[in-house]
Amino acid sequence: MGGVGAMVKGASYSYAVFCGSFLRSPRLSFSIHNKKKLLKFRSFSSKSTCSSLQPPDVSRLAKTAQISLTPDEVEEFAPKIQQVIDWFGQLQDVDLQSVEPSIRAETENNLRDNVPETFDHRDAMIGAVPSYEEPYIKVPRVLSMD
Amino acid sequence: MILTLQTPRPLSRLPRFLPFSTNASITLNQSQPATCTSPPPPHSQILSTRHSLLSRQFSAADLLRSHLNRLNLTEPHLRSFLHLPDPSDLLAQADSLDRRIAAGEDVGPLAGVLVAVKDNICTADMPSTGGSRILEGYRPPFDATAVKRAKELGAIVVGKTNLDEFGMGSTTEGSAFQVTANPWDLSRVPGGSSGGSAAAVSARQCVVSLGSDTGGSVRQPASFCGVVGLKPTYGRVSRFGLMAYASSLDTIGCFGSSVADAGILLHAISGHDRFDATSSNQIPKFISQDVPNFLSHFVSASSFESKPLKGLRVGLIRETIGDGVDAGVISAIHSAASHFEELGCSVNEVSLPSFSLGLPAYYILASSESSSNLSRYDGIRYGNQVYADELDSLYGSSRANGFGSEVKMRILMGTYALSAGYYDAYYKRAQQVRTIIRNSFTEALNQNDILISPAAPSPAYKIGEKKNDPLAMYAGDIMTVNVNLAGLPALVLPCGFVEGGTAGLPIGLQMIGAAFGEEELLRVGHIFEQTLENCRFVPPIIAEDIAS
Repeated sequence: MGGVGAMVKGASYSYAVFCGSFLRSPRLSFSIHNKKKLLKFRSFSSKSTCSSLQPPDVSRLAKTAQISLTPDEVEEFAPKIQQVIDWFGQLQDVDLQSVEPSIRAETENNLRDNVPETFDHRDAMIGAVPSYEEPYIKVPRVLSMD
Repeated sequence: MILTLQTPRPLSRLPRFLPFSTNASITLNQSQPATCTSPPPPHSQILSTRHSLLSRQFSAADLLRSHLNRLNLTEPHLRSFLHLPDPSDLLAQADSLDRRIAAGEDVGPLAGVLVAVKDNICTADMPSTGGSRILEGYRPPFDATAVKRAKELGAIVVGKTNLDEFGMGSTTEGSAFQVTANPWDLSRVPGGSSGGSAAAVSARQCVVSLGSDTGGSVRQPASFCGVVGLKPTYGRVSRFGLMAYASSLDTIGCFGSSVADAGILLHAISGHDRFDATSSNQIPKFISQDVPNFLSHFVSASSFESKPLKGLRVGLIRETIGDGVDAGVISAIHSAASHFEELGCSVNEVSLPSFSLGLPAYYILASSESSSNLSRYDGIRYGNQVYADELDSLYGSSRANGFGSEVKMRILMGTYALSAGYYDAYYKRAQQVRTIIRNSFTEALNQNDILISPAAPSPAYKIGEKKNDPLAMYAGDIMTVNVNLAGLPALVLPCGFVEGGTAGLPIGLQMIGAAFGEEELLRVGHIFEQTLENCRFVPPIIAEDIAS
């Protein structure tokens, strides 16, 4: 439960930047009364050191995240996700040259001894498994035959 | 996914002996907190409960029955709870406590105190759903450490409260099960994600409650519901048993109707836990684990000196009282600043550079970490499974069926931000922004003892107002997320009202302290609260009940 969960760290490719590509990042104002005023878009050309980021492909992301979206959901989510990702883009703008990334607020080395212990409530844990056949957790086939 | 939006019940349907009364003596003036003519609040429900129990003025069973009665009357209108245990179980606990008191045995500092627990915090004897269909009916095989500690000290867990699914949201409308109403105005949200816990304390359905705060989810509902909300320093309270949303940001926080109560609960659940590798081993700046010394901060106002906070340097964060913040909120914060000055503080404006970057950085980090944390909900080892012939389809269908829209979207956004090639552009940059924000707080807290700001840019929204616009909803978190990025402690307490509802809508003041500086925050907050013009923050729905 501690620490940051496993992250998908990709290889750092650098994509060729084609001229004229823009990253629009909405500037967020805090007014909640007027939604139109809320998102002010400003455009700027992407820096050559910055990879050109493909817009989110919701269907593909859903496959990666193992969530079976309906076509309606894909249609509903895509613009909202695009909007938020665009908004994230404003971080591209910031000069972060010599700034160290922080994993979390406090970093203490706080590991317990690597000694296994028996969990007292194994039965309750097994009881929560939807499909159990002692001693196996039963799952459907992993690979299809075609 | 399936959001049960219940239309708020018309007020005329409330039982006659709980009329939705307006307190005629409340004057709503946007530039001043509402003034009330009732006597000053007891400075601690927990302490007065303890006193009454030990002096046999009333029994734990009586106290429980009175709260359950109020709970039963208000719950159809508020829907704070996702799970309420059999009352006879609770009565058995209360009876057992009464017997021990009668036998002269020592009882813990939370003996007889009714605690509600947010449903993303595991309780072994009650379902824990995280507000999600994917865990509907799930019973964890263990108690969260925070729950375990509260129970060991005598607390009675009165139920599990409603929340935005897995903590993702700021209104509690994101629950898969029901929408909780704000006790101050049933057509408004209680805030989120710990809306149920905030509403339960606000309506005095319980004494204190546990919530979780990843980006403001304790502090903003505290502001909306007119209660005290306390977010500890990251690492102060074990996260073991808190369903992980964003592991580098999550904290368990406390709600109470007074600073003292929130503080006493925090003290009870704090401390190193070997089951949480991020729980701090540092000697906590609770100057002592010694309870009497800690409680000595919560003395009655009559024993305060004339300028009890003399010399305290208070920094008002300039970026939080500008554009986009309701005029009524700004006014309440300025009044709070004046109040601090009356108490002897020096109040100055302080600017936190890059303040506004915190919000996108937070959402990048939170959605990225949540995409990883929620991958465990696969329908295999626990939770609801939608069977399929192939494993991948089983995962896909179980998760599609079990997660709501907001959760799905955040997982997808997080998946995108962590995709191959994008880590540097988003996640890493957000971590760098986090460093900048942390440093700016450290700098500001070198020159000030505490920092203050509103807890939210507005009072509680109407139910349904933020439904379809994620960015509009995220915008409301601007006051709170930076504190999570920096891992600092913060206390929110009600400081005034703005117009709305039938008796005004409460506004919360946020006080931010240095890392592990909760004791100072509580000391200052208690003094502020106790000297605040005899103001009571009791919502109209229970005003008459409380007065009797």
